[in-house]
Amino acid sequence: MNGLLSWIDARLPVVRAWDTHMGKYYAPKNFNFWYFFGVLSILVLVNQLLTGIFLTMHYEPSVEGAFASVEYIMRDVPYGWLLRYMHSTGASAFFVVVYLHMFRGLMYGSYKAPRELVWIFGMLIYLVLMAEAFMGYVLPWGQMSYWGAQVIVNLFGAIPVVGEELVQWIRGDYLISGATLSRFFALHVVAMPIVLLGLVVMHILALHEVGSNNPDGIDIKKNKDENGIPKDGVPFHPFYTVHDLVGITVFLFVFCAIIFFAPEMGGYFLEFANFELANGLKTPEHIAPVWYFTPFYAILRAVTIDIGPLNSKFLGFVAMGAAIAVLFVLPWLDRSPVRSMRYKGWFSRIAMIAFAAVFVILGYLGVKESTPGRTILSQVCSVLYFAYFIGMPFWTSREKCQTVPERVQQKGLSKALVFGGLALFAVLVVVPIKAVAAGGAACGAVPCEHFHADFEDKASLQRGAQTFVNYCMGCHSIQYSRYGRVADDLDIPRDVMREQLIFGDEKIGELMVSSMDPAKSKAWFGATPPDLSLVARSRNPDWLLTYFLTFYKDESRPTGVNNKVFPNVGMPHVLLELQGLQECAPGPKYDDHGHVIRNAVGELGEIDPCGSLAVGDIKGTMSPSEYRAAMVDLVNFIEYVGEPIASKRQSIGVYVLLFLLLLFVCVWFLNREYWRDIH
Amino acid sequence: MSDDGANLVRRRVLTAVTSAVGAVGAVGVAVPFVGSWNPSERAKAAGAPVEVNIGRIEPGQMVTFEWRGKPIYVVRRTQKVLADLAKMEPLLRDPSSEKSVQPDYVDPKFRSQKDEYLVLLGLCTHLGCAPGYQPKVGSVQISGGEWLGGFFCKCHGSKFDLAGRVLQGVPAPINLEVPPHKYLSDSVILIGVDQEA
Repeated sequence: MNGLLSWIDARLPVVRAWDTHMGKYYAPKNFNFWYFFGVLSILVLVNQLLTGIFLTMHYEPSVEGAFASVEYIMRDVPYGWLLRYMHSTGASAFFVVVYLHMFRGLMYGSYKAPRELVWIFGMLIYLVLMAEAFMGYVLPWGQMSYWGAQVIVNLFGAIPVVGEELVQWIRGDYLISGATLSRFFALHVVAMPIVLLGLVVMHILALHEVGSNNPDGIDIKKNKDENGIPKDGVPFHPFYTVHDLVGITVFLFVFCAIIFFAPEMGGYFLEFANFELANGLKTPEHIAPVWYFTPFYAILRAVTIDIGPLNSKFLGFVAMGAAIAVLFVLPWLDRSPVRSMRYKGWFSRIAMIAFAAVFVILGYLGVKESTPGRTILSQVCSVLYFAYFIGMPFWTSREKCQTVPERVQQKGLSKALVFGGLALFAVLVVVPIKAVAAGGAACGAVPCEHFHADFEDKASLQRGAQTFVNYCMGCHSIQYSRYGRVADDLDIPRDVMREQLIFGDEKIGELMVSSMDPAKSKAWFGATPPDLSLVARSRNPDWLLTYFLTFYKDESRPTGVNNKVFPNVGMPHVLLELQGLQECAPGPKYDDHGHVIRNAVGELGEIDPCGSLAVGDIKGTMSPSEYRAAMVDLVNFIEYVGEPIASKRQSIGVYVLLFLLLLFVCVWFLNREYWRDIH
Repeated sequence: MSDDGANLVRRRVLTAVTSAVGAVGAVGVAVPFVGSWNPSERAKAAGAPVEVNIGRIEPGQMVTFEWRGKPIYVVRRTQKVLADLAKMEPLLRDPSSEKSVQPDYVDPKFRSQKDEYLVLLGLCTHLGCAPGYQPKVGSVQISGGEWLGGFFCKCHGSKFDLAGRVLQGVPAPINLEVPPHKYLSDSVILIGVDQEA
């Protein structure tokens, strides 16, 4: 074994490489938890590469096939759902750890000499990561993929003279199309990852050349012992490998909790509108980029003025570009004699906290639709964002800093200071956001009916499936779902499924497509009835239940009915024989957010002639409560169809989290054993 | 910062325990990646058993069906062909199908459930070409006897009799495979599902 090693080492310096980067790389011994995020970004990068490679094995980069192939991965490929959620959650996790990693650098002055190149390589990584994430988000070819690509690509149209030509060249077409999709695919899976990996290597090589910074910003190479080893350093391996394992395990716990219990993360990691197929003729009601782009998106939107010949579109583009570009020159903006916030002056500390708050507020504003109040706030925050960088050379060269000690300290700032800073940050974030908050309701002008999915109630799901097949599948398909899967998941024996729920001569393994010809249905209803596989994920189940309950008589409509949450809907009231026909009855008036309008003393205000609904002359076969129960079953089924793996995903998740707890105990004791004599 | 006071035994034990737990985790992580290479539900639906009607096949005729994208040969054999099969046995490599692949409800010599209908996977057991149907007596040259009808693979010259049994002196090692199949009625078979006992 040793013979083989020395044979290789004579030809390839593996031992030297190991010593340089692990075994004899001396890292300061006073790293705190902020130093986990570097190794965590490598972990997430590996996750993205591995899951990404496996996703490309099933994904199809074409306009016709992209969306369907993602659902194919989610439903038909064994564990495809897990690989996809690992990849989609990984994308957001990447930005979480990278933002925290960058903030760490900001706090402890890790960008200052001699680490300027480390910072610049890091910023390049961040830039490429944004391009990579943007292109990846286009691939599922949902509504947000399409319209996000539309908006971001059109940004380049703001460049004078060549803008329009450039946009067309990027798209390869007159619109975002298959040509755009396939080039983004190639860049996302081949070109960008190669560049990213190269930059990561440069980032680490540059770091290991000059050595790691630390929370005190002290150069540990100035204090060496007789063997030339820094007195305040410990070899990276084994000390920081065991130390990082603790951080990695905690991270994995959170990461897996999201994957298995909240993969959409409330619409922030996977946006709801993206569960709808891209449609170039219809923009979703509310479009926002994924959360990690929103601070810069908010700066883009904040520019609403023209300056001379330069219009606001161009200036917004410039502002957004400048907001990212200014980060590159940070090493030369900070003129402080010290690196770490621990020894910088009061002004630097408060400015940094304010800057972090401004960044978070901009992120929040970028997610929300704009209102006049929010526009003003985003303008104020954009100005503060730039003021931080422009002002930095002035205050850092003037303020009074504390003396930096000779050796690293195990204790940082006092608890009072740290928590005070945290509290200041929280106040700075929450107060402005509260001031411009405006609640919107998911069901528009009526209060939402509340719905709780219960996938364990197989009887409910079976009744829902029956209703769905009888009343919905004449026109709507659930084309990503298979009869056999539904039968197995709902405990319906396959022969019963074949006899009672399959009307055509389809086979049990086939997809549940509708028998209706899309061209004819478009002629009848004015629109092709949409596929309902994912309707529970693009619209929420509360909305669906409310929709089913609020059909009412309206002679002015061609179908004779209208709907409260979906005004002027093209669908006739197909459930009329069950519910009967509701008619308008007097009731309270609601505002745009579904709240009853009351006057100053809390009394009901105006009465709306159609404020409530009641079954009129045409009765149904069900009582209102029976009908409601039937609709709850139906929504339960539609919710199940949206993500058939949901209940299994959660039960696997429990075991994964329990395992990670066990692993945590192991790495905790391992780390403690190695570090107990190091002070 | 020195290792002098370190408890090496405890370090070793803890490292071993952590490594063991970590290895279990690594296996767990591998499950979705490895598992995703198994046939998907789409592949399974496409590879589902197929129902074929064999009632209209003329005596002596062969019809090719498709199951899992592979050719399935169904030959309706005449009484003469069935009687001639025994004559081929001295020329065969595995006349009683001892080394060959077929369900156990299939007769090892006639290689069928019902003598009249031969159901075969139409892929040569040498390297997977589809052998041609050569029913005519003497249509293929063989040494040591007369060709009484069978299958001839043009790729590498393997020869099989009308029970799909391989002749001696050809590269194919075993008889043509018999796929799982089940009689739903006298004229309808389901390919891909075993006959129940």
